Amino acid sequence: MKELVKLFDRIIQRVNINLRELEFDVNPIVNKLIPTAQMTKFYAFYGITPHHPLNFVFKHSNLSGSYFLGRCRVTNSLLYKSDIRGDELKKNGDLFQYQGFNIPVSQDEEIHIDDSFLIKTLVHNFSHDPETLERFFIRDTVSTHYANIHGSPSAGCFMGPFSTVDLTTMRDCVIGAYAYVQAGEISHLNVDPGTVWVRQPGVFNFMYRYPRGQLNDYIYFSDGPPRGVFMDFVEDRKEAFQRVFEVVNIENQVAVPGSASLDRFAVIKPKTSIGENVLVAQRAYLQNSTLGKGANAQENCYIINSHLRGNNVTAHGAKIIDADMGNDVFVGFNSFLRGRPDARLTIGKESIVMPHTIIDIRKPMMVPPGTLVWGLVRNAEELKTNSMGLKDFSKIDNRICKGNLLFEGSGSSFVTAFKERIHHILEANGAFYNGNINRGHAQRNQNISFNTIQPYPEGEKEGMYPTIIIEP
Amino acid sequence: MKCYLVKDLMVPISEYATVPEAATLFEAVLALEEAQEQYQQSRYSHRAVLILDKNKRVIGKLSQMDFLCALEPRDADLDQIRKFNQFGFTRKAVALQQEEYLKKSPPKLDVYSKAAKLKVTDFMQRPSEGEYVDENTSVDMTLHQLTAGSNLSLLVTRGKEIVGVLRLVDVFAAVFHAMKESETQLLDGTT
Repeated sequence: MKELVKLFDRIIQRVNINLRELEFDVNPIVNKLIPTAQMTKFYAFYGITPHHPLNFVFKHSNLSGSYFLGRCRVTNSLLYKSDIRGDELKKNGDLFQYQGFNIPVSQDEEIHIDDSFLIKTLVHNFSHDPETLERFFIRDTVSTHYANIHGSPSAGCFMGPFSTVDLTTMRDCVIGAYAYVQAGEISHLNVDPGTVWVRQPGVFNFMYRYPRGQLNDYIYFSDGPPRGVFMDFVEDRKEAFQRVFEVVNIENQVAVPGSASLDRFAVIKPKTSIGENVLVAQRAYLQNSTLGKGANAQENCYIINSHLRGNNVTAHGAKIIDADMGNDVFVGFNSFLRGRPDARLTIGKESIVMPHTIIDIRKPMMVPPGTLVWGLVRNAEELKTNSMGLKDFSKIDNRICKGNLLFEGSGSSFVTAFKERIHHILEANGAFYNGNINRGHAQRNQNISFNTIQPYPEGEKEGMYPTIIIEP
Repeated sequence: MKCYLVKDLMVPISEYATVPEAATLFEAVLALEEAQEQYQQSRYSHRAVLILDKNKRVIGKLSQMDFLCALEPRDADLDQIRKFNQFGFTRKAVALQQEEYLKKSPPKLDVYSKAAKLKVTDFMQRPSEGEYVDENTSVDMTLHQLTAGSNLSLLVTRGKEIVGVLRLVDVFAAVFHAMKESETQLLDGTT
């Protein structure tokens, strides 16, 4: 296991060098986060379909329990139970639109992970950096439990648990626990835990900060493993996933329409119903819930005792418990929406729940249709402070401060940008498939084979995977 | 321009407001007031206080801005709000958020009394390398040093000793008069 330990030290040193200006030391934080013995236990696996490219190169790395799809190159890295989903990468000949430019893509895009340590992290989408269209790079980066690297090339960064960086190139940054960043390009920034920041320079700037101290109940990360409600919630359901990963052939426990896709590595508990054009990704967890036509549950989503009427986006890592969601409700990354059996949460149609929103109620609550909700909402009072009708939000043309939210710029552009993105996500997921056109992930991911790969079982290279090249 | 040297324009250290490093903010303000009163008889107005160590060496400077900053309410939330400009917000937006936050906070009635007892060393600015200038340097040469560092004043040295303060206001006055003189001469020549 000597090689594995050496590799860990190498990665930590490289990340620390990048973060020296922020005086951030990764070592004490991640040193004992995943014992090296744990990293030798699990196989890695990759998907094969006729609809996705197949091109993997794994060199001098540990890939324990990780999943790969598409085109990906991993070198000198540790990937622990991470999902590297390359099914939205750009193709040779595509045109990338950026600030009025149409930039041709000269070769198929590839995810490059170098000198990085990713723990239970999701990597998805494609590079939105116009300077690096063909390479979605992640280098000298450490990310921790349930972080999302979504369309965001990264160099020299640290990401706390349940953090998300979305459509943003980041260099030498620290992203705190449960922080969400969508800002195009950032460098040398230390983003505090619980910051939700969406910026389009010159157009709008949205920032919400969780009240200090109150986020700690949900996610607390200092030294040692992350703690709090979020971790307890996923740990309580861990066993169900162990079963789906251990069994080779698993029977569908629910009827799946021909236009829908249920990943073999998702957990489906009884009394679950899946409608047409539904997409259920790997590591999703469904229990006693209904997913109406065109709804989706992405990686690390939990939908329990809930009803989604249709065309609902439940983005990566979002959790919906004891809730009723109207048509076209969007629930952003890592949101935690928890009603109670005797206090259901209802969210009206066409509402947008911002990424990293916590709704955790003890009394029944109704979010009116067409509402934008953000931040921490535990009762009607907090809902009043942390929400606004989308129509009213669209009228903002200067700046507004509401509770812990600061918004500056054009509300109308902000709402339009979100609506367009939600439409694009539904389209990409195959929610609009009509039997002929508008095929998306729900239709393309139906027949997928999985191959497993294994590390050296003992000796100095224990836990390291041999160099593996996989091509069609 | 007339070839001024730094020493021609500087305020001698003996005429500048100074306090020892153990002084409080209130003592610093009193020292400034005293220096201002003396100004009635001299040509110098004082906008900052120099902080001296036990050996009477200058270790820092407390400007009017530093003094006002010390009066500003301070807690972890406000510090966080003040960092918002890093995230692309305008000053107006940061001020709005700060105002909202303060509205919700309990009033701080004894803010002046508390600030008066604070240590001057906690708010002074320690001079950086670019804030020193030799007394025999020409003012022309010093202009760049002032503008590049956006400094309101520079500490004037003689060897290792600090002998005075060169203030932006005095340099501006000298440059302005030189320009006026030169333009007048030019006009006289053409008529």
